[in-house]
Amino acid sequence: MTTMDKGAPRAGGAVRAPQDFAAGLFLMAVAALALWLSSDLPLGTMRAMGPGMLPRAIAVLVGLSGLVLAASAFVSDGEALTRWHLRGPILILGAVAVFALTIRTAGLIVAGPASMIIASFATDEVRWKEAVIFSVAMTAGCILLFKVALKLPIPVIAFM
Amino acid sequence: MDLFSNLALGFATALSLQNLALCFVGCMVGTLIGVLPGVGPIATIAILLPITFGLDPTGALIMLAGIYYGAQYGGSTTAILVNIPGEATSVVTVLDGHQMARQGRAGAALGMAAIGSFIAGCVATVVIAALGAPLTKLALLFGPAEYFSLMVMGLVFAVVLARGSIVKAIAMILAGLLLSTVGTDLETGQERMTLGIQDLSDGIDFAVLAMGLFGFAEILRNLESPEARDVVKGSIGRLLPTAAEFRQSFWPIVRGTGLGALLGILPGNGAVLGPFASYTLEKKIAKDPRRFGRGAIEGVAGPESANNAGAQTAFIPLLTLGIPPNAVMALMVGAMTIHGIIPGPQVMEKNPTLFWGMVASMWIGNLMLLVINLPLIGLWVRLLKVPYRLMFPAILIFCCIGIYSINNNPTDVMATAVFGLVGYVLFKLGFEPAPLLLGFVLGKLMEEKLRQALILSRGSFSTFIERPVSGTLLAVAVVMLVLALLPSIRKGRDEVFTE
Amino acid sequence: MTLRIAAALAAVLAAATPAAAQTYPAKPITMIVPFAAGGPTDIIARIVGEHMGRTLGQQIVIENVAGAGGTTGTTRTAQAAPDGYTIMMGHMGTHGAAPALYPKLKYDPTKDFEPIGMAAGTPILIVAKKGLAPKDLKEFVAFAKQGGDKLNLAHAGIGSVSHATALLFNASIGTKPTSVPYKGTGPAMNDLVSGQVDYMCDQIVNVVEQVKAGSIKAYAIATPDRSPALPDVPTTKEAGLPDYQVSAWNAMFAPKGTSPEIVAKLSDALNKALADPNTAKRLTDLGGVLPEPANRNPAWLKGYVAQEVARWTPVIKAAGETAE
Repeated sequence: MTTMDKGAPRAGGAVRAPQDFAAGLFLMAVAALALWLSSDLPLGTMRAMGPGMLPRAIAVLVGLSGLVLAASAFVSDGEALTRWHLRGPILILGAVAVFALTIRTAGLIVAGPASMIIASFATDEVRWKEAVIFSVAMTAGCILLFKVALKLPIPVIAFM
Repeated sequence: MDLFSNLALGFATALSLQNLALCFVGCMVGTLIGVLPGVGPIATIAILLPITFGLDPTGALIMLAGIYYGAQYGGSTTAILVNIPGEATSVVTVLDGHQMARQGRAGAALGMAAIGSFIAGCVATVVIAALGAPLTKLALLFGPAEYFSLMVMGLVFAVVLARGSIVKAIAMILAGLLLSTVGTDLETGQERMTLGIQDLSDGIDFAVLAMGLFGFAEILRNLESPEARDVVKGSIGRLLPTAAEFRQSFWPIVRGTGLGALLGILPGNGAVLGPFASYTLEKKIAKDPRRFGRGAIEGVAGPESANNAGAQTAFIPLLTLGIPPNAVMALMVGAMTIHGIIPGPQVMEKNPTLFWGMVASMWIGNLMLLVINLPLIGLWVRLLKVPYRLMFPAILIFCCIGIYSINNNPTDVMATAVFGLVGYVLFKLGFEPAPLLLGFVLGKLMEEKLRQALILSRGSFSTFIERPVSGTLLAVAVVMLVLALLPSIRKGRDEVFTE
Repeated sequence: MTLRIAAALAAVLAAATPAAAQTYPAKPITMIVPFAAGGPTDIIARIVGEHMGRTLGQQIVIENVAGAGGTTGTTRTAQAAPDGYTIMMGHMGTHGAAPALYPKLKYDPTKDFEPIGMAAGTPILIVAKKGLAPKDLKEFVAFAKQGGDKLNLAHAGIGSVSHATALLFNASIGTKPTSVPYKGTGPAMNDLVSGQVDYMCDQIVNVVEQVKAGSIKAYAIATPDRSPALPDVPTTKEAGLPDYQVSAWNAMFAPKGTSPEIVAKLSDALNKALADPNTAKRLTDLGGVLPEPANRNPAWLKGYVAQEVARWTPVIKAAGETAE
């Protein structure tokens, strides 16, 4: 499944550490985003630091470390980028989002099985009958544990 | 000797049948919520407050305290088994604890965590009893400037924590600091980088960030590389640490206990730094520091001891000054207040049974936790045998419910999904999330203290150097940074030379 | 287990029928506390809620929805279904100072709620580090005016009770100190005890033991009468500042549109709780002050909220410290 070729120098191209190069670009993008988001905040003075002082100062440092990282990718060899998968992230994070959207509108009785069944399909090993039974049993267990035993105010049935 | 008559009074109180039972219930509930990712002691203690209405205040506090330190105990289980730090203090345990689990040494890691915590808990109890009152002065030495310098020292720990590229580690610490500035500005009330989302106005919650970066990202990681998780399933290994592992762990436990106990006393949640300090120390003095991050038992024993010692000495400012050093302790103030005892400098004199009863119950509670936890290790380790296709949906639902219960807010759950994605990207780019979390935790305190110190000094930075405690801490930080960077600088030069 | 679900289902169905007001309450009531557990508002809500639950025959479940100075939980209550099963404990901040502090507020304290009744207030004290020179409030006022921004005021963050009440205090004596913001009362108190900052205004429950132990000193209490918890501390009136009268009040609200019958039931239960000697004692033990019997009804609270909003708005606007 995975393509972990460690430390193999890339033949051709100036970038000798593709993962570090991408990481550097990522950090610079984060820094740019933070600078843009905090651009309307006053910097203030040393005596009375404004709200923008630290976010912008730190963002600049993040950008600089990204620059160093990206530059070093031309100098020394490093790891290659591995393949990006879509199925896992979409289904797992989608399942979490479904939980967030249904917990207050429908309650745990819907949010529990729905999110767990969606998540189960993130792997090829899924057996859907087992996933359904397991998710229902787990939800019942969670209701017992969180609602009955720990008495957390979690909506069990919120629709109607 | 007053101490002995006081302790006798304490044990007489704590050993009553009712208080023993309450202590046991507290420890059980604490272990349970500690193991469940996301469900923290704050939510649970808040929920259980009304149930304690009918109890006498001593009994109520014994139970609530049991929940608190029981949760610290239980938190290490989740950190070691599934790589999810439930609280800031178990981030460090993840580093070597989970590696040990992957090598089939989960039993040894869990066992050592329990034993280390027990020893630390016992020592910390004695510290509270014997030195509680004099140590209070230490807390009062720490103003904003001192606190800021302490945080700077903490950041240096974070650099040392790094496995692999030091540039990447520094970048992650900075990213953590950056994330910590999201939310309403302390001084002006202006919203910073919140994208106009109201739920972000109080900043990002630690559990939301940790559960996303570690919990969900870990699931994604495991789904991609089935061979990694099969290692965990492959062999269970022994349930208890070997004699050699005990010998290796003895001094780390002692040092961790000392560091944790000392930092726990400081106001403003100094206990958070304990495990990091312990890990840094162990890694620095180890003969072969490269073992750290690859399943070194000292990296579990030391920080876990520091964690538990700090959790207990954090009661000192509460009981001797009436000032809660962290959110859980603030809740304890609430619990005491509901029972008509407003904590203050006079609790010890006015309510000796409460004070000494609680101190004695902590020792009893630690013993109970050991008895509860050691047999459970077998059960936990067997949980690793559950097929991963069933395990990850279960982890997912526990995390979701746990996060929801923090503020009863579904937006938090959504935010965790976003951080799960971020965690996946970081993994793909070869970043470690642990330094980011540390930067985040320290950042929140650091900016607050920096700005308070500068307001009080009217903008003069020399305040950090002129004040003796602050200046000393900064000097220590500089020395440690040099020590941390020297090997990599030297190594870097060697590499240049060999090329 | 199945019984519980069946019971919950039955309760939900019952609530959905038009005759809801007669059968109310048919399931547990959620009381939103817009602050973290363990604070004064939370404790008052829990003490009062426990007795009300017994009167109503249904448990009152406290749900802490903290955030943005209490406005997150208050917004959620304003947007909740007005069926009587979601109510809240609001306070001086959420239903008084918030409109001025938060220009983008998503609710109107005077229009989006059905007031249920006042629960309890906690008096505000002016306290200072023990080494501060002035002996009493008069000396302190002169000292503060002269010292100006040399004096350090601690508060628990923009929008907190200690912040708003300090703004009012500074405005009433005409001084502008340097404010040092903290995250919460605990750290602020720590620095007051250790003498890093000079003074602060805060609720009695947060300062009482420190004052008793002599680790800080209290100049005055901002209520008409002295508090039994601190009988030696003079009132602001006695100490020469009669205009500074302020209390961190806590009151119960339901979302707009909750039927008058349900509000009446809740108000009645609240009054029974306040009339219960045991509950009342627990509240007064905290330093809490119960409302006068004549002021224990929804109509009075409605007027009071309007009055409070009108009182805080100019003070906060003048100070220029708002959360954007």
